[in-house]
Amino acid sequence: MRPWVLRFARRKDELHEELRAHLQMAVADRMERGETTDEARQNAIREMGNLPLIEDVTRAMWGGMWLERVLQDMKYALRQIRRAPGFSVTVVVTLALGLGATVAMYTVVDRVLLRPLPYRDAGSLVKIETMTSNGGSPLIDIEEWQARSHALQSIAFYDADSSNAHLAFIEGKDESTQVAEPHVSANLFPTLGVRAAMGRTFLEGKGGAVREEDAHTLLLSDTVWRGGFGADPHIIGRVIRVSGESFTVIGVMPRGFTFPYGIQRSAVWKPIVPVAADMTRKGDETPRHDTIARLKSGVSLSAAAAELKGIQAGVARQYPDAEYRAHVASIRMQRYGDSLVNEDVRKSLLALGGASGVLWLIACVNVTSLLLARAAARQREIAVRGALGASRWRIVQQLVIEGLMLSVVASALGIGLAMLTLRMFEHGLKTQFHIYTTLTPNLRVLGALLVLTVMSALVSSVWPAMAAARAAIDPALREGATQSGTGRRQHRLRGLLVVAEIAMSLTLLVACGLLLRTIYALRHVPLGFRTDHVMVANMSIPNYKYAGRDLYKDLYGPLLGRVQHMPGVDSASLMSEVPLGQTFNIVFSFGDGNSSAVDLRRGKIRAKASGVTPDNQKVFGFSMLRGRFFNNGDTATSTPVVVVNREFVREYEGHEGDPGEILGTPLLGSRKEKQPVVVGVLDDERQVAVARPSQAEIEVCLPQVTPGSMFYEPAGMAMDLAVRTERDPAEMTPELRRVLREASPELANSTFTTMDQVVEDSYGSQQLAARLLETFGGTALVLCIAGIYGLLAYLVTQRTRELGIRLALGAQRGRVMGMVLWQAGRMLLCGVGAGLMLAYISVRLLHTLLYGVTAHDPWTMVAVTLMLLTGGLAAAYLPARRAAGVDPMEALRSE
Amino acid sequence: MGTKNSYQNRIELVQGTLDMLLLRSLQWGPQHGYGLVQALRTHSGDVLQVETGSLYPALHRLERQGWVRSEWKQTESKQRAKYYRITPQGKKQLLANVDRWQQMVQAVGAILEREPEGSDA
Repeated sequence: MRPWVLRFARRKDELHEELRAHLQMAVADRMERGETTDEARQNAIREMGNLPLIEDVTRAMWGGMWLERVLQDMKYALRQIRRAPGFSVTVVVTLALGLGATVAMYTVVDRVLLRPLPYRDAGSLVKIETMTSNGGSPLIDIEEWQARSHALQSIAFYDADSSNAHLAFIEGKDESTQVAEPHVSANLFPTLGVRAAMGRTFLEGKGGAVREEDAHTLLLSDTVWRGGFGADPHIIGRVIRVSGESFTVIGVMPRGFTFPYGIQRSAVWKPIVPVAADMTRKGDETPRHDTIARLKSGVSLSAAAAELKGIQAGVARQYPDAEYRAHVASIRMQRYGDSLVNEDVRKSLLALGGASGVLWLIACVNVTSLLLARAAARQREIAVRGALGASRWRIVQQLVIEGLMLSVVASALGIGLAMLTLRMFEHGLKTQFHIYTTLTPNLRVLGALLVLTVMSALVSSVWPAMAAARAAIDPALREGATQSGTGRRQHRLRGLLVVAEIAMSLTLLVACGLLLRTIYALRHVPLGFRTDHVMVANMSIPNYKYAGRDLYKDLYGPLLGRVQHMPGVDSASLMSEVPLGQTFNIVFSFGDGNSSAVDLRRGKIRAKASGVTPDNQKVFGFSMLRGRFFNNGDTATSTPVVVVNREFVREYEGHEGDPGEILGTPLLGSRKEKQPVVVGVLDDERQVAVARPSQAEIEVCLPQVTPGSMFYEPAGMAMDLAVRTERDPAEMTPELRRVLREASPELANSTFTTMDQVVEDSYGSQQLAARLLETFGGTALVLCIAGIYGLLAYLVTQRTRELGIRLALGAQRGRVMGMVLWQAGRMLLCGVGAGLMLAYISVRLLHTLLYGVTAHDPWTMVAVTLMLLTGGLAAAYLPARRAAGVDPMEALRSE
Repeated sequence: MGTKNSYQNRIELVQGTLDMLLLRSLQWGPQHGYGLVQALRTHSGDVLQVETGSLYPALHRLERQGWVRSEWKQTESKQRAKYYRITPQGKKQLLANVDRWQQMVQAVGAILEREPEGSDA
């Protein structure tokens, strides 16, 4: 910019000098011909004509004229902005609020809904799911699809259902690194359209699975290669140890590649080599794989889904087990990108995005209204410029540039606000929408901001500018014209804008009110346990190290003992998953039994299982309905015992009876030789989400979980450490981490949180939506009140003279005040009416977020309406009082 | 109004021909703006008067097109002035302009010299 401006200035000087030289030569010539100095000078000047005009026209030849004009307009605009700082600040802040909210929401939408997947032509990748518990299919079925489908180009499969179940440790010299380890088929990479950046991917065998000779090979992600192996160029062919097994590295995947999408960046991919069970259809004994396929080009999703449904109907007939046949009878096909975003999340995001858009509109309407008022006030100035020869286009251009400058400042401020909003809501956004990258506006968002800025400048300045430029010059120039004003049309227009603003604000406020009621309802759901002063460590367990050993005796027990003796720790316990933790889920179900009617019913029970230590009740304060909780007498050698909850008893007994009946019952099928006995019944509690009722639960005593027992394997996959302590979590975390590291170095990777935070997170999308809508709604309310105030204050100023005359003629001051208030009341009533209709239609978008309140809750509507009416009338009161206080003499004299 | 009368015996330049005349004049050697006005007046036998308001925009336009270059030099009377010099590109452009001009003169001439034929016209 700078050199350009300098060059421009130099050229301008040169042109000036060129013309002066011309003039001097002309004068010299004339003097030579005998004219006097004065004569020569006068004649030469006359002959040359209007010098500044010539300079202007000549400069136009340089091609940068428009820029010069823009610079001129900018200078002028700056002067205008400085002259009315209140107005400018209002406009900038209003726009910044609207833009800030929109950019923040757009950043989130961009991250969650529009994220570009790192695969070739990701739009034609589809995920295929059956109705089985994990949605997977046996290899034998997949092979049949591959053989018979014409709509799918290739069908690949992988195992990566739960992020925790597939954690592995790459063993280094000193410390192990924790990585994700999805198992994948060989044809996955060609299906995704991705090649290894170095080396190769797996060799493809029958059905797309990996060939036997690659059974002990491994692919590394770029992050692992760089972080774990220092980007070693000779990594291919090296043998590394992963969770106790040796693998040969055959390839490194390109930077940015990840699969399944959303797993942590450090990952290794292991091969799926078919085993004998893969060729069976025996219910849960047959491994089931997640399936991803690529559509042939030109084939639509629905056509492919229809074809595969047809094929699957035939496949299902080959299942011997009737119940299982029902699970696999049909399939669901959706785009892979869509499968990553849960429907509720998508809906709530769109609702929030819509809300921020509405806020932006309100901001624009407000600014348009402000600029309209200002254009009216500046009509005289604009008329003068018109009279001096400025073209209408030029006047519009100048006003647009003024608008643009205001919105550029506003967008700088808006970015700041957006970053602030994102930081404020960072935790909620990340946990709710599973965003693992930093939330800063990226280039795309900045681009969107630019578009929004230009749009808001255009929307909010073109309209008033056009109105101003269209106005006839003549009447505006006449004396007193400002009083007779800008005509009813413009007032009505501004009135309409304010009505629209009220309507939109009401909609936002209703949405906000509904969510606040939801949060209130959620907070008053009895959880069934205490959450205060409990720290939680979600441990990553290096279970491979304990193969052939007793995990409790060698790791959990000693670790727990050490934690319990840490200073400041009241009690500590281990639990497969803390309530509402949403990290790991073990499902317990009874075996087939002897298929009596009772056994059939009990066979359907799907209970949440977890292994806990006896101190768990001290930490969480669960209440016992009947019997006892585990105690230190329950050891590996004593009778195995379990504790169940009330819901479990309900389902087990099949009726609402005394929950105590179940005490002492040996539970079927848990273990052949030593059947565990129920010793206690817990009261119901919230385990999965605050809004979800209690589900059947069975707890086993961890010290009794020894190698060979049915809970041994799951107990080694995930474990939470819960600690009751009065100490500050921030201060406690490093100490806990040290103790964990001493127990086993890998445990240092554990994540720490508090139970209060876990509960807070489980309010989840509602909490986040409520907070965001509070912000949006509050802003909207302020803007709306500012809009009403601005319009009325302006109208009163415009009508000072008229009001003065009315008062002079004997009008009651009260009547005058009522008149102004009525004007506000009319706008408010119209706005509220329109807003209620708008709200009635649009809150339906929110219904997935609501809990304990209906979408059309009348109380919320009434409360919000009253709030807006009160706010609006309060805003009108000041101008109304000013109107009533007009001094007739002064008003008339000022003319 | 009085000033305008004194120019009445001079011909206003046809649009577009000024560029050609300026390029042609510059073929005789580098010249400054004032010199060009004088040259055009003298060589047209005092008929063509180039207005300053057309001359400088035209020169700057020619320079932007790359048909002339400019540099600051001293005149014989020690006056610093901006001299314009025709470029090879400008020469090419001049040839094209002259060709077109001659075609036009011929065409216009042919129409003007044609005798009226038939009485219907």
